[in-house]
Amino acid sequence: MSNTTLVPRDSDRKSLPGATAGPPGGTVGSSSSAELQTRVDPRHQAGANSTPTNSRGNHTLLAAKKLEKSYHKGKVEVPVLRGVDFAVRPGEFVAIVGQSGSGKSTLLHLLGTLDAPDSGEIVFEGNRIDNLPARGRDVLRNRHFGMIFQFYHLLPELTTLENVLAPVMIRLGVLSYLWQRQAHTERAKELLEMVGLSHRLTHKPRELSGGEMQRTAIARALIARPKLLLADEPTGNLDQKTGGEILAILKRLNREEGLTILMVTHDQAIARQADRTVRLVEGRVAAA
Amino acid sequence: MYKLLLSWRYLRTRYIALASIISVTLGVGTLIVVNSVMAGFAREMHVRLHGILADVIFEAHDLNGFVNPLWHMAEIRKVVGDDLEGMTAAVHVPAMINIQVRGQWLTRQVNLIGVDEETYAQVSDFRQYLLHPDNQKQLSFLLREEGYSESARQLPPSGWKYRRLKSHYEREYELQQRMLRQALGEPDPAAEQAVSPASDSAAGDTVPSDSIATDAVPESEILATVPENPLDAARADEPAQVFDPSTHQHAGIVLGIAIGSVRQRNAAGEVQDYFLCRPGDDVRVTFPTAGMPPKAASEQCTVIDFYESKMSEYDSGFAFVPISWLQEKRVMGDAVTTIQLKLKPGTDLNAVRDRLRERFPADEFPYRIQTWRDMQGPLLAAVQMETTLLNILLFLIIAVAGFGILATFFMIVVEKTRDIGILKALGAPSRGVMSIFLSYGFSLGLVGSGVGMIGGLLFVYYINQIAQLIEIVTGQEVFDPTVYYFQEIPTIVHPLTVLGVVIGAVLIAVAASVLPALRAARLHPVEALRYE
Ligand SMILES: Nc1ncnc2c1ncn2[C@@H]1O[C@H](COP(=O)(O)OP(=O)(O)O)[C@@H](O)[C@H]1O
Ligand SMILES: [Mg+2]
Repeated sequence: MSNTTLVPRDSDRKSLPGATAGPPGGTVGSSSSAELQTRVDPRHQAGANSTPTNSRGNHTLLAAKKLEKSYHKGKVEVPVLRGVDFAVRPGEFVAIVGQSGSGKSTLLHLLGTLDAPDSGEIVFEGNRIDNLPARGRDVLRNRHFGMIFQFYHLLPELTTLENVLAPVMIRLGVLSYLWQRQAHTERAKELLEMVGLSHRLTHKPRELSGGEMQRTAIARALIARPKLLLADEPTGNLDQKTGGEILAILKRLNREEGLTILMVTHDQAIARQADRTVRLVEGRVAAA
Repeated sequence: MYKLLLSWRYLRTRYIALASIISVTLGVGTLIVVNSVMAGFAREMHVRLHGILADVIFEAHDLNGFVNPLWHMAEIRKVVGDDLEGMTAAVHVPAMINIQVRGQWLTRQVNLIGVDEETYAQVSDFRQYLLHPDNQKQLSFLLREEGYSESARQLPPSGWKYRRLKSHYEREYELQQRMLRQALGEPDPAAEQAVSPASDSAAGDTVPSDSIATDAVPESEILATVPENPLDAARADEPAQVFDPSTHQHAGIVLGIAIGSVRQRNAAGEVQDYFLCRPGDDVRVTFPTAGMPPKAASEQCTVIDFYESKMSEYDSGFAFVPISWLQEKRVMGDAVTTIQLKLKPGTDLNAVRDRLRERFPADEFPYRIQTWRDMQGPLLAAVQMETTLLNILLFLIIAVAGFGILATFFMIVVEKTRDIGILKALGAPSRGVMSIFLSYGFSLGLVGSGVGMIGGLLFVYYINQIAQLIEIVTGQEVFDPTVYYFQEIPTIVHPLTVLGVVIGAVLIAVAASVLPALRAARLHPVEALRYE
């Protein structure tokens, strides 16, 4: 098992589809290729901290600026987020904690461009992404973000291996998928081996345990070599031991691969395993 | 890629959706069967109708026809020109036919047609429908020696052989009766003779001379030997010669098969033909003369063949005699009631008809000019109408199936809400999600109508065997030959119709999946993901 290929390195950045073809019409596409020349591997960045050309981000991968979001229940407006401000640096493992119902999932959905904020900005690699057109956000989710959820959200009709390959299948058309299938299947198998599931390739999700499903979800989130992993209570539905194993995988990915992870949890004990904790209280970031 | 994979997986795991396309399958199958059978029927009817009717027909308003047909035919030849392939004149007149069956006289109403032996076959398929193989080649109104049973119809022994045997038997019977009476000392048989013609002519008031001659055959003639050649002796209405039924025939007549026979089931339930008369028997024909006031003329004719077009209307209504004989007996000179034209294949019938109408305007000439389509228009239109109606009804069935698909798909979309959210979270565009459901509907429609098409075509191919099978299982005849004259169910498969039906069904299935697909595409990913 090689842990060198799991997360993008300089050498294979160029071959990343997200790098060569950004979201059409979006600001990410045009700038991310410009950034390619200047950006270096997050590990180096974190260590060396000397990239003068990166004038905008100042070591932030993802930033939320004054995010506001409220839901409407009939005529009544229910504010959930009332101006969330925070930033994630490349290679960081950040935990967002807050009580149940405090708006953690809502925030994560906003950051993952699954939903749009009422006001405020989300900046990814120096580009605003919350106002991208739908197609641009689709590409962003497909190639730049990995997401895992409390309820795993695997596709029940597909096998473990197919679930892991789903983002690739979404990205590629029939012909190009069949053409490159060998390489992608190899990578999916490597990822499944890394999360310890190489013996479950042809199982359907209903034949897997909760921990196995979450491992599958992690493998799926990594298949596109994302820069950022968004995790919504990944251990929320698991017993302590299994949850601990999942967390260990995430920590190893962060440490060994330099993967940036933003994890939401209501569990203080789990949050403590992260590099840094952001506390969400009454729709705002409170002092940790 | 995921679209194909997912719609394939949905197809394999959602059997409920397969159930919803069974009605598509059935609809497509029935549509193909119905269209094929109706097309087969329509063609058969066209062939039959056209087989009897010439292309263009002049039909007199008057039963007594119009005079000088030769002039008319010459004029027609001028108008039509090279397109003309054949032309004939005929006399149509309503008539009664009396057939003696086991001593009882049956009376039947017919349409008596005087035809020209030489030219009548030029304008229609008339000859093909005659039973005797030689008559199919060249019609003659003379009785044939034998050979009637060679036809498809299993005729009992007919022809001269039968006629001789019959007259022989009748004479011997007569002789016996006479001897019996003499032995008993009953009145002279001459008195008997006076009675028999009277009963014979009960239908009409004129007693034809040859009828008397039949009964007045001298005793010495009874034992007369078989004639050298029946055809030589066939000049029936030679008044000077004494009429001998074993060597002479009356004027020949061709009867529609259903006039001379009855098709019925026997005690065992099998279809059987009962012959009231057969070639070689004499029948009495009664028709109006052309004079004013018309009188009834009653003549003896000898059945020389049957006519079977398998159109029951014609087979039970038409009798054919030589035109010159009919003109003479009706005292109508050279007048004819119809002139029929056969045109070269591919000629525009309506154009020719219109040219003829121009040449023979209705206010000057006492007849109507029509094409065969004009004459059979209502019947053909009825068949067409029936086909159209059935098509509409069956397409409605497929439309109902479409609503079934719609409902099922909505259920599947609701059931798959979470999966749709997952796909969107993984970056699938709305269009892609939509096309999953569209291609799902498309493949359902394709599978449904493909299976329906294959089933329908197989059904059409084996329709007669299937009919037999149903017959064996239920004991009920599906395709009753006493009702239809076809031996087999006629079918024609038009590939374009099949293609149209299949495409139509697939379109309906796709159209039914549009709404659910749109709904799936509009689903908000977050709401879908919160969905537990
Ligand atoms: N679609 C919605 N309509 C109305 N209210 C909602 C909706 N989604 C979430 N909420 C409300 O927003 C609040 C925050 O929800 P959520 O982000 O799921 O919290 P957490 O993940 O921290 O438990 C909750 O009070 C919830 O009731
Ligand atoms: Mg939550």
